[in-house]
Amino acid sequence: MDEQGCPRCKTTKYRNPSLKLLVNVCGHSLCESCVDLLFVKGSGVCPECNTSLRRTNFRLQLFEDPFVEKEIDIRRKVLRECFIQTIYHNYYFHFLAVYNLSNHIDVDETKRMIEQYKKENRDQIKKNQSKMSRDEEMLESLIEQEQQESYMRKTMLKQNEQREKAAKRKHKDDLIDDLMFSELSAQAIISSHRESAKQEEEELKAKSAATTFSTGIKIGHQKNVVPMTRTEQGVLFRYFPLVLEWCGPEPPSMDDIYSDGYLKNIRPASDAERAGGFREAIACHRALQEAFSGLFSYPTISPSPVKQPALAASASH
Amino acid sequence: MFAVSSQHKHWLFSGETELAKHRAEANKAYIEQYRQNKTDEEVAAFFLTPAEERILGRQYEVVLRKFCSEFQPLMPKCVIGTSLAFFKRFYVFNSTMDYHPKDIMLTCVYLACKCEEFYVPIGQFVKNLRGDREKFADAILSFELTLMGKLNYQLTIHNPFRPMEGFMIDLKTRYPDLHNPEKIRKYVEEFLDRSLLSDACLIFSPSQIALAAIKFGAAKESISLDGYIKSVVLKLASEKEAENTLYQLRRVKAIVKSFEPTTREQAQAVQKKLDRCRNQENNPDSEIYKQKAIDKLNAEDDIPVVKRSKMSQDNGS
Repeated sequence: MDEQGCPRCKTTKYRNPSLKLLVNVCGHSLCESCVDLLFVKGSGVCPECNTSLRRTNFRLQLFEDPFVEKEIDIRRKVLRECFIQTIYHNYYFHFLAVYNLSNHIDVDETKRMIEQYKKENRDQIKKNQSKMSRDEEMLESLIEQEQQESYMRKTMLKQNEQREKAAKRKHKDDLIDDLMFSELSAQAIISSHRESAKQEEEELKAKSAATTFSTGIKIGHQKNVVPMTRTEQGVLFRYFPLVLEWCGPEPPSMDDIYSDGYLKNIRPASDAERAGGFREAIACHRALQEAFSGLFSYPTISPSPVKQPALAASASH
Repeated sequence: MFAVSSQHKHWLFSGETELAKHRAEANKAYIEQYRQNKTDEEVAAFFLTPAEERILGRQYEVVLRKFCSEFQPLMPKCVIGTSLAFFKRFYVFNSTMDYHPKDIMLTCVYLACKCEEFYVPIGQFVKNLRGDREKFADAILSFELTLMGKLNYQLTIHNPFRPMEGFMIDLKTRYPDLHNPEKIRKYVEEFLDRSLLSDACLIFSPSQIALAAIKFGAAKESISLDGYIKSVVLKLASEKEAENTLYQLRRVKAIVKSFEPTTREQAQAVQKKLDRCRNQENNPDSEIYKQKAIDKLNAEDDIPVVKRSKMSQDNGS
């Protein structure tokens, strides 16, 4: 597949993913920055076909083939000018006009034809232009309906919330009243109130269950948040310092390396190495560890295993 | 950490006698397997003796080192050390008649490059060889798994190079009596290079080899480092440990110094003999090997079929 790109500056979609191709009535595409550059004055000529163009007529190229864009443009123009709502009126004439215009065949002739058609059907066209197309009407009504619905939903939610709040306040007042004036013990009053509150909550829940979609998504916000499951805690981690086996004299520790001046004798780390977290002491430490570890190795201390041949043989099979 | 490494546990032998014993066993095992009805005299004339195998092994160690030193891109020293260690370990329990050292040698270098994080792709690797490169590549890759298996997958080699640097840093820091430690470096490195060709890496820990090298280098400059070794390195060691360590250092020196390179004529005579008695199953040029490879390939193809039919049986039941 060849790359979609601006014919003037040769930028492609691949090199600049945010590239925006614009197209004008002549059907040649240009990228946004080229348009900015060429049409500073508001109008200019197309670099490909020298048609004079207006900057305001540029629009986003939706199809990969600019020819399609051009055709759509003409189609729209012809439609707007003479065929609104009368598209079936003169089917053949419409397609002939579009085809001719987009392929540069008898342009003048066709234009004249359109003019003539316009004149002939002037009344009809005027009437149609004042009307909105049926499709557009339907779309608009759909959008309106949707807006209304969302508004309804919002108000319902708000009402619910307010109702809940009011109920809560009422409960509280009731409780205080009862506590003040009732003969019963405080404990009993509180427990009875709690019970009734619970009951009401359950009722509410049952009500809200009706507003569940078939998919299980609930309308309105949910009250009961799923409690976090508490994970079982294991035994606490205990740190045991690493015990190293040297089989040799103890090598100098990291602190010794800094305090005893080992660092004087090795190449200091470069800035780039330091930026990466490397310190010369690390290399020094490792070299010293390797120098001292294994010094005491001695055949009678660590006899080489006699079982080695068997091991090697078993591994090979 | 060398003290807990597989090198310390499994690949240190008490001395050259033990090594010779294992090698002789490998030699004998091979002859027993392939002698058929040959008399003892015929066996001696047809098969290699352990001594001849040693000559061949040493010859190929020299070849290996030469190959490594001429390798492009230039390889770090530790790769040479590691590949030689692999090669030596392999022929402790395997006979040169079973696996030809020229194949194993290249595989060792290739594997060492990977282990020492100096990865060279196989295509680039065989560019360092003259002859049919594709055949070499096939041989190396086919022996790689065998080699790893025979090494028990114990592929971490502790080389004496880093311990040597550690001792140099320690010398500079803790032994100011030695005024210019860098002047002994040349001799130290010479000693380490020689030690690579001897069996030192199968008998001593890398730190012992490194310390022996330092001691030897200083002696060349007629400086005695006994003071450093006794009062700094082995300051806190028990009497027995110190004695053992000093004894080991002397042994390292003796073994490395006693190494004698084999002559070309000797090696060529052995190689001629080997061409007749080698195991054809492990010879990438032989018909048997090719047939085996094809059989293996076919067997691999068969396995999924068997599995599938089994599965369909399970489903059916």
